[in-house]
Amino acid sequence: MSADTQFHVHHDSPEVRGRRERLGVRLLIVADGAFVFGLIFSYFYLRNLDANGGWLPKGAHYMSALSGWWTAVPLAIAALAHRTGERRRDSFKALSIITLVALLAGAYYQWHQLAHMPFIVKDTGGFEGAYASMWVLIAGANMFHYLLGSFIALGLVLRNGRAKVDAVLETWRLRTAGSWFTWIAISGVACAITTSFIH
Amino acid sequence: MTTVEYQVSSRPVPNPAKSLITKLHMGTGMVVGAIFAFGTYFWLRSGEDMTVAHNVNRVLLISMFMWSFGFLIGIGAFIGPFRWLIGKDLTDEEQLFLAGDGQGVSRYFRYCTDHKVVGIQYLVGVMVMLGAGGTLAMMIRTNLLSPGSKFVTPVIYNSLVGLHGITMIVAMIVVSTGPFGNFILPIMIGARDMAFPRLNALSWWVLFTAIPVLCSAWFLGGIPTGWTAYAPLSVQAGPGMNAFIATIIIFAISTAVAGANITATVVTMRAKGMKWNRVPIFVVGATMSVALAIPAFPTFMVSMIMTALDRTVNTTFFDANFGGSGWLYAHLFWIMGHPEVYVILIPGVAILMEIVPVFVRKPLFSYNAAILGFAGISGLSGLVWAHHMYMSGWLPLLNGPFMITTEMISVPTGLIFLVILGTLWRGKPWMKLPMLSVYAFLWNMLIGGITGVYLSDVPADNYLHGSMYVTAHFHYTLMGAALTGAIAGLAYWFPKMTGRMLHEKAGYTAFWFTQIGFQILFLGMFIAGAEGQPRRVADYAHTYATSDRISTIGAYLIGIGMITLLWAVIHSWRKGDVAPQNPWGAKTLEWTVPFPVPLENFDELPVITSDPYGYGRSEK
Repeated sequence: MSADTQFHVHHDSPEVRGRRERLGVRLLIVADGAFVFGLIFSYFYLRNLDANGGWLPKGAHYMSALSGWWTAVPLAIAALAHRTGERRRDSFKALSIITLVALLAGAYYQWHQLAHMPFIVKDTGGFEGAYASMWVLIAGANMFHYLLGSFIALGLVLRNGRAKVDAVLETWRLRTAGSWFTWIAISGVACAITTSFIH
Repeated sequence: MTTVEYQVSSRPVPNPAKSLITKLHMGTGMVVGAIFAFGTYFWLRSGEDMTVAHNVNRVLLISMFMWSFGFLIGIGAFIGPFRWLIGKDLTDEEQLFLAGDGQGVSRYFRYCTDHKVVGIQYLVGVMVMLGAGGTLAMMIRTNLLSPGSKFVTPVIYNSLVGLHGITMIVAMIVVSTGPFGNFILPIMIGARDMAFPRLNALSWWVLFTAIPVLCSAWFLGGIPTGWTAYAPLSVQAGPGMNAFIATIIIFAISTAVAGANITATVVTMRAKGMKWNRVPIFVVGATMSVALAIPAFPTFMVSMIMTALDRTVNTTFFDANFGGSGWLYAHLFWIMGHPEVYVILIPGVAILMEIVPVFVRKPLFSYNAAILGFAGISGLSGLVWAHHMYMSGWLPLLNGPFMITTEMISVPTGLIFLVILGTLWRGKPWMKLPMLSVYAFLWNMLIGGITGVYLSDVPADNYLHGSMYVTAHFHYTLMGAALTGAIAGLAYWFPKMTGRMLHEKAGYTAFWFTQIGFQILFLGMFIAGAEGQPRRVADYAHTYATSDRISTIGAYLIGIGMITLLWAVIHSWRKGDVAPQNPWGAKTLEWTVPFPVPLENFDELPVITSDPYGYGRSEK
């Protein structure tokens, strides 16, 4: 490409691009929703099947029913803070930081839960049963949501107030990010409800 | 003429040579990917007891994912997201460079966002995958040429079947929506590009990273489970299974990204005046296919992650001693697996529906019935998965309802037949190469569909399941219908994609060899299956010798046909006759743009005032 080549770059309006991006994210949310559905379906399938009494074998460890809720709370706080920031743009900077901090704190807590889970059989290194296996998988999905959410929240914090960012498009992107934050909060609550059914 | 652009930048291009983007390409991706993969492998194995299977699986799986991650870093896939993160969005100049403007052939080896480049990348990638899968099929059939054959060992035979299956399934899922959904679809709807050009490139290059991973299975002991990878067999399989798992997870990511992109493109970027009842039928079919894949594939991903965890950290999802269940795997797999059949089939059929009106010069017979047929198939496909589990012992009470939902699928499939037959009715077809495939489809899909009704019937399936009959049935639908549609699409859109006509004589030769070989192979296989020959078995009784020998001869004929087609494609691409802008006299928008198609397709966006199948009306 030479320096004097003429070129045309067509830009759609920020509204058009914004709506398009929001639809794209919502479609990806459908895919992620199917993934979370697969986890919840599997949890109840194995729990109700209880093959050979192996869902929660006698003497096996399990997490408190509240453990899932504790990891859902930061997701809900993050979604709430972001949604509030969308409406009150003058406070967005502070609220976006709250979103980021809530997600990072939640990610740390989820990692702490995973690092200290009590289900590992010391002799074999295996898991005590199907409940333990499902709990780990659901916690892993939450962790994925936390990490991706943190990336987006960090981006919004860093981009906030930058002169080079198109303000109208950025407003649409806040709404698009809001769809994601709302979804991961819903997913967190759905997983918390699921893991409340232990026995 | 109304255009929807908001702003047009027109100025000299500053040289973006200082940008990192200009220095990255497939080579840097492979180097960084290899460093990540081998670095991870040697680092992890130094701290693990590699005599323990779980540790080996863990090290291999992580290394495979690191290859994919490293490759994407090395080719520049994450520059856009990183620049977004720090608030320095890509400039117009950088975006233009990413679009490959003025870069010649090298843009095909870069993270290029031009949908036409991505379409060609998919086309070449799919042909390579089909070639590899087809070669494996030839080896399978050679081993089955006579009973007691020692062409390959039973262990290698199992791997051949597994690798053939998964390679072909991956290739078939993208065979229509990959090349034509990317190259042709945006032009067909009057768009300048896809909705998310960077995601478009990502979907291809993510898929690309899965290819070496899948190939590595061969060097790690193969895939002994068949493409279904049923647990707990897959949990107990050797290290090659890790390649299968990583491939599926990577592929599911690529599919979700591509699905969201194509759907968003069609929903939001259609030309002014292109109402839903004016959208070309291929666009409708491709959109329904990818939209169906979006919710279907993640459940397969769940099953693969579970298998990976069982193999690497000793979870017990599929170990019945500890509360697991093989049925769970079967559910998750087939909740994806049956919609996946229609993810493959619908775009292939839609291509044929696109072709028929052009070559018969008649409007598509009942556009609404075609839409209803696609919608009915898509909707019902989510309610039939357990027909794959009739004989598994899972809840026999539900066999009846699943039998009914499965048989109901023949109704919307019948609508699709009706639309094609209605369009052909009393027409005088222009018998060019793409049109031949329409007749091949009608014959093949009829056989594939009717034998599917038998298999959906519980008493018949009790006898036929697990036999070569099933293998013949799904090859009639997937290869006989969907691949035939895709090859028709290649013949039809080849002039637009390459600027040259496909070599006609070689094309006809390829068609007849392939279709005659196909009938010989799979009709013979129906007979062997009905007589009781089990599938996935390396050897067989002398009773089946004749039908198997006939089938193998048919396979070789297909091989000759496919090699001829490959020659035709390569020769025509290099030296074929230069194609006119609209060689078929079609009315859809892709034929209104010149070759090579300009970077943004249209100087001015078109305005649509009629449906795309108004043949005959203007002549009246």
